[in-house]
Amino acid sequence: MESSQAARPSAAPAARQPLIRLEGVHKWFGNLHVLKGVDLAMLQRDVVVVIGPSGGGKSTLLRCVSMLEEPTLGRVWFEDRDITDIRADLNEVRTHIGMVFQAYNLFPHMTALRNVTLALEKVLNLSSEEAHDRAMDQLARVGMGHKANAYPGQLSGGQQQRIAIARALAMKPKVMLFDEVTSALDPELVGEVLEVMIRLAGEGMTMMVVTHEMGFAREVGTRMLFLDDGQIVEEGEPKDMFYNPKSDRLRLFLDKVL
Amino acid sequence: MAITEAPPVNPDAPPDVRGPTAPLPATILVLGVAALVVVVAAIVFSQVNYALSDRVLTQNCINLEISREDNGAVGVCNIVEALQDPVTSAGLYLGIGLGAVALVLGAGMYRRMDSKRRRDDAITGAVLGAQGILLALLILWFRSASPGLFTKHFLNFADLEGYGGAFVRGAINTLKLAFGGEVGGIVIGLVLGVLTLSSRRVVRAPARIYINFFRGTPLIWQLITGYFVLLFGFGIHLDAFVVAVLIFALNTGAYAAEVFRAGIQSIERGQMEAARSVGMSYLQAMRYAIVPQAVRRVIPPLMNEFVILIKDTALVSVLGLTLNNSDIFTLAREGQSATFNATFFTVAAIAYLVVTLPLIGLVNAAEKRLRSGLVGIAGAGG
Repeated sequence: MESSQAARPSAAPAARQPLIRLEGVHKWFGNLHVLKGVDLAMLQRDVVVVIGPSGGGKSTLLRCVSMLEEPTLGRVWFEDRDITDIRADLNEVRTHIGMVFQAYNLFPHMTALRNVTLALEKVLNLSSEEAHDRAMDQLARVGMGHKANAYPGQLSGGQQQRIAIARALAMKPKVMLFDEVTSALDPELVGEVLEVMIRLAGEGMTMMVVTHEMGFAREVGTRMLFLDDGQIVEEGEPKDMFYNPKSDRLRLFLDKVL
Repeated sequence: MAITEAPPVNPDAPPDVRGPTAPLPATILVLGVAALVVVVAAIVFSQVNYALSDRVLTQNCINLEISREDNGAVGVCNIVEALQDPVTSAGLYLGIGLGAVALVLGAGMYRRMDSKRRRDDAITGAVLGAQGILLALLILWFRSASPGLFTKHFLNFADLEGYGGAFVRGAINTLKLAFGGEVGGIVIGLVLGVLTLSSRRVVRAPARIYINFFRGTPLIWQLITGYFVLLFGFGIHLDAFVVAVLIFALNTGAYAAEVFRAGIQSIERGQMEAARSVGMSYLQAMRYAIVPQAVRRVIPPLMNEFVILIKDTALVSVLGLTLNNSDIFTLAREGQSATFNATFFTVAAIAYLVVTLPLIGLVNAAEKRLRSGLVGIAGAGG
C-alpha cells in the first residue's frame, strides 16, 4: 500500500498498460441501438466519471465492462485478457472487478457481515475466520463495523450502499465500478456514500463512476466521458470539460444540470 | 351548567348540512345479533332437548319412511321431530321478524349515524339480521323437503359404532399419502423449476414436457395407469400404496415447479447480478442468493398445494387398496356400501376438515407475515 502510494507521481511503465480497454463496443437491445461503437482505455488509478443524459448508454457501458451485459459487437479487455472471448472465465474476472449498483442489491436474507463474507468463502475459498476478519476490516473501512449483524431491511439506504461497497471491496478488486450509486438515496444520505468513494479515489483505487453528482465528477474524476446517444461525445479533464465544453451537446447538457 | 355548555358556534363556519343524527345504533346491533342468536338457539335447544329425552319412534317419523328396523331410528326420529318442534318454529319466525327489523333500520339509517363506530354498529346489525333471515329460511326450506330421508342417510351415526379406530387409521394413511407426495413433489418441483428458467431451450424443453404432461392429464388417470406403467413398462413391482405416493409426488412436482419458477422469477434481477458480480457462478448465485429468498415466498402457495393434495388423495379410492392402506375416503365408501348409510361421508368430511382447517389457517398466517414484509428480517433466523 505505502509503496504504491509513493510510486504514484512517477507512474511506472507497467502502470501505463490499460487495466480495461474497450474496442468498438456496440450493444443492441432488440432493435434499440444503445452503444454505438465505444472505445475506451482505463489506466490504473484512473477515476473515470461518466456523465450524460439518461438513456444515453452510461449504465450499459458500465455493465459491459463487467460483462453483466455482453456487447453485441466489439471487444472488452481486462488487463491482457479479452473477456468478450467465449472462453474467458468470467467468474474469475469478476472477482477483480467490484461493482456497486444503484439499488444496492444487498441480499436481504443475510446480515451485513454475511453479505460480505459469502463470496469470500464461496468464491475465494477463504476460511470462515479469514473471511470474517477481512469482512470486518472492510465494513470498518466504510464506517459500518457497528452494523455488521444488522439485516439490510433495518438499515438506511446510505448504510446499505456503504455495505454494498464493502462487499465489493472485500474481494480486493483491481477496479471498482459504480452505477449511479447515489441516485436512489435521500438527499441527506448522499454525502456519506460520496465520502467513502472520495476516500477510495484518494487511496488510489481505479474507479469508473456513472453519476449525476456533478460536483463529485468535477472534483474527484481524473478523466471524464460525456456519453450521449450511445457515443462518447467528448472526453478529457473534468474541470476542462466543465468550464470549456467543446461540443454543443455537452454545453446543452451542462446548462440543464448545473 | 356552565361547564356542559356547548362551545360557541363559529360564525364563519359553513352551514351544517349533515341533517339530524339517526337514533338507535345500539338497538339495531342488538336486533341483528338477536335475530341470528334466536334462530340458532331455538334449533340447538330443540335438538338437545329431544336428544336427551327418552322418546320413541313417532307415527310422524314412520310416515317419513323411517322404519323400526333401521339401526338408530330413534336418534334419527329425534332430529326430525326436533326440527318440527314448536320451539324451533317459534325461533325461526321470531328470527325472521327481528332480522327484518334490524335490516330495514340499519340499511335505512347507517348513513346518518354521527360516528364511525355507530355507523359500523348499524351496518353490522343489518348484516347479522340478513344472515338470521337467510339461515331461518334455509331451515324452513330444508324441513319442508325430506328431512326424514336426509337425516336417515346423512346424520344417522348409529352404524358408525366400532369404526373409530378405522377412521384414525384412514386419517393416518391420508396424511401419509399427502405428506409423501408433498415432500417428493417439492424436491421434484425445485429441480424442474430451476430447469424451466434456463436460457437454453434444450434444458427447458424436457422440464416443460414433464410439467405439461402431469398438469395436462387427470390425476385419476395417472393413479389408475401408474401401477401398470411401472409394472409392465419398466418391470418395477411396487405396492399399490407406494405407487400412489409416487404418483402424488410426480404430480405435485409439476405444480410445485410452476410455484418455484414464479417464486424465483419474483426475486429482483439485481440479486442475481449482485451475486454474479462478486464472482459467483450461476448455480452458486441460485443456491446462496436467489433460492433462499424464493423459498420464503413460495411457502404459502406450497402449503396451499398441500391442502389441495390432502383432498386429492381421496382419489386413491379407485385403486382398491387393502383395508390397512385405506384412506379416509376409501373407508367411508366401504362403510357406506356395507350399511347403505351415507353418514360415513359426513364423518369423512369432518375428518378432512379437522386436518385442513388448521393448515388453511397456517397458510393465511404465513401469507399475512409475508405481506407484512418482515420475512427478510425475522424469517432469516440465525
